[in-house]
Amino acid sequence: MKRDPLAGRIPIILITGFLGSGKTTLLGKLLRHPGMDRAAVVINELGDVAIDHLLVATSSEQMTLLGNGCLCCTVRTDLQETLREMFIRRRAGEVIDFDRVFVETTGLADPVPVLHSFQSDGLLGAQYRLDGVVTVVDAVNGMGQLDTMPEAVKQAAVADRIVLSKTDIAGDVSELLSRLKTLNPFVSITKAIQGEIDPALLVNLSPGSEKALPAELSRWLGDGNTYLGKKLRGNHDAAIHTFSLRFEHPFTWDGLNAALQTLTALRGPDLLRVKGIVNVEGESGPVILQAAQHVIHPPVTLEAWRDADRSTRIVFITRNIARESVESLFVAVGALEKQKS
Amino acid sequence: MAKALTFNMRLLAHHELQGFGGIGEGMALQSTRGGRRILWLAHEGAPKNFTGVDVTDPRAPRVIVQTDLPHAKVRSNSLDVTGDVMAVAYQTSAVGMKPAGFDLFDISHPEQPKRISHFDASGAHSRGAHQVWFVDGEFVHMSCGADDFQPRHPEDDQIYRIVDVRDPARPVEAGRWWLPGTREGDAAPAPARLDPRIATGYRVHNTNVFPQRPDRAYVGYIDGGAVILDIADKARPKVVGMWNHSPPFNGFTHTVLPLFGRELLVVSDECVRDDGIDWPRLVWVVDGRNERNPVPISTFPAPPVEAFIKRGGRFGAHNLHENQPGPTSFRSEQIIIGTFFNAGVRAYDIANPYQPQEIAYYVPEAPKLSRAGAIQLNDVYVDEKRVVYTVDRHAGGLYVLELNA
Repeated sequence: MKRDPLAGRIPIILITGFLGSGKTTLLGKLLRHPGMDRAAVVINELGDVAIDHLLVATSSEQMTLLGNGCLCCTVRTDLQETLREMFIRRRAGEVIDFDRVFVETTGLADPVPVLHSFQSDGLLGAQYRLDGVVTVVDAVNGMGQLDTMPEAVKQAAVADRIVLSKTDIAGDVSELLSRLKTLNPFVSITKAIQGEIDPALLVNLSPGSEKALPAELSRWLGDGNTYLGKKLRGNHDAAIHTFSLRFEHPFTWDGLNAALQTLTALRGPDLLRVKGIVNVEGESGPVILQAAQHVIHPPVTLEAWRDADRSTRIVFITRNIARESVESLFVAVGALEKQKS
Repeated sequence: MAKALTFNMRLLAHHELQGFGGIGEGMALQSTRGGRRILWLAHEGAPKNFTGVDVTDPRAPRVIVQTDLPHAKVRSNSLDVTGDVMAVAYQTSAVGMKPAGFDLFDISHPEQPKRISHFDASGAHSRGAHQVWFVDGEFVHMSCGADDFQPRHPEDDQIYRIVDVRDPARPVEAGRWWLPGTREGDAAPAPARLDPRIATGYRVHNTNVFPQRPDRAYVGYIDGGAVILDIADKARPKVVGMWNHSPPFNGFTHTVLPLFGRELLVVSDECVRDDGIDWPRLVWVVDGRNERNPVPISTFPAPPVEAFIKRGGRFGAHNLHENQPGPTSFRSEQIIIGTFFNAGVRAYDIANPYQPQEIAYYVPEAPKLSRAGAIQLNDVYVDEKRVVYTVDRHAGGLYVLELNA
């Protein structure tokens, strides 16, 4: 018997959101939530979330245990260093046995490099896995931020889940919703007032075991959400392209490699995020594919296909790469020869 | 210590075994004809002999039988099961006492184990059997003294003995082997003792024989290291290869687990002293491509030493799950699970044998009334569904865990 390539790694959930989006309010509420026992939260500034009265134990200047059992950590130097130290202290029994980590990114940060930073760090890659990206969008100012701040557009585009904040004071949000759905037709959108949200909605965003069920894969890829995007007209964010490709015939490893290598080599910086399940010849189940910019995560083969649909489905979130270009690239490298025959 | 430490293992159940929660290193999982699953446990010491626990539902273990020893100067410590037959070891606290050897029990009705026979190994120089391995229904391989074996040093009394139990009513010895020089009258010189502060003797601990290689016995010889024997002729075992890390290490080789598909050996030491006196006691990955020249290539990354060494009781390696051949056993050449006393039960991934990785652990909180003041996980058995059964040496009883890695 072998190791489950996913189950043994601690999931990391990135929480992004533009300045003033309500991210801090959300984190503040999350830190107090009773469902957060055994969770760790990495934030930028302790002062921001005003939790002094919740502290029950401080194991270092950077790590504190809250009354509800949640471990709160602040980033001193860099995120990778903090995550490494957290794991080492967990193993020594110095902090709680956290089973998931929420990481706050700074408001101005481009979340895309963070997406692949785990992969380039040996210890982090062995002990943690990226579960997904949650982006907080301000219902009042979101539209303006999307108009003026390219990073805000990126944050919304790469999200697995969008939390729409301040809907209680925002009036009609239908236009903003449409825009977000156009930008990222595969995302699930949840509303939160005053940061109140069930932490369960922010976890299990991606398959957590090689035994993942079809419903989990569909939820991750956002298959069920795509109809909205197709109906909508007029894309304000023309530079961002979000599309899903479906291939009916299995790939060979060589064909898949050739396509991905070419794509990342030629257009790496513009590949904001790629996620998919791939049917590869000779594999027992679907192969989970994830990439951000030039970094392709090591593919993980799930135990078995668990439903009749064995087609390959890959979601691309790109900057200035159209669907047709990606499709023709797959054809050009021969990955799609079989598809045409 | 305070609460349990967990990583990729989840506690399904904990059972204190009716107040007799000190378990040795005998664990076997019987699949009964009626479809029940009975976990058999040998107690670490008197007054209890063995306990049968119905773990058909691993979340609700239930004791169905618990037996007593004839007196307080004998311990069972080890047992093994094939089909409906169970072998139980008996080791006395001094030489010349009885019962010393092993019993065979018919456990086809688990609530009423019936003794079939007793193999008597008592004698003027024998304390009987410390460990039995019985996985083929035909031979018991054990660490045991013998009436006609007089060791040069009293700590070298338990040798490798093979007993033919094909007629379970009449067990007969089929062969034996000891380290040359340890028997009074041997031509070979007596082996040099290790540093007296940590020396524990040249005698046998585990004796593993697998159906993939019925002509090989993998023997942990305590201060004598790991020994691979050719037992094609059981009456005359012959040395194929030996490997000993001590000195300079601290001796006590416990288990030699071969991974046939990968030509590796996983070798565990046993920590036998409290508070880190005999540290380091480790698990070693040994390249076994050339049986005559085993070469160590890595050790399992130890739990943080400063966090555990003074936590109470023993801290270091001990038993491994041994890839038993039966239908209820987890078998892997990549994931190795072992017990580490106060550092709990730990799982390692040796996909890259040069760089083992720790992938899961569970360290229970200190059991009530434990004399060590900390958990002392002693042995582990993993079933084919990755349910991990592990036991405390003194008081905590049985912990049932799910491995999620």
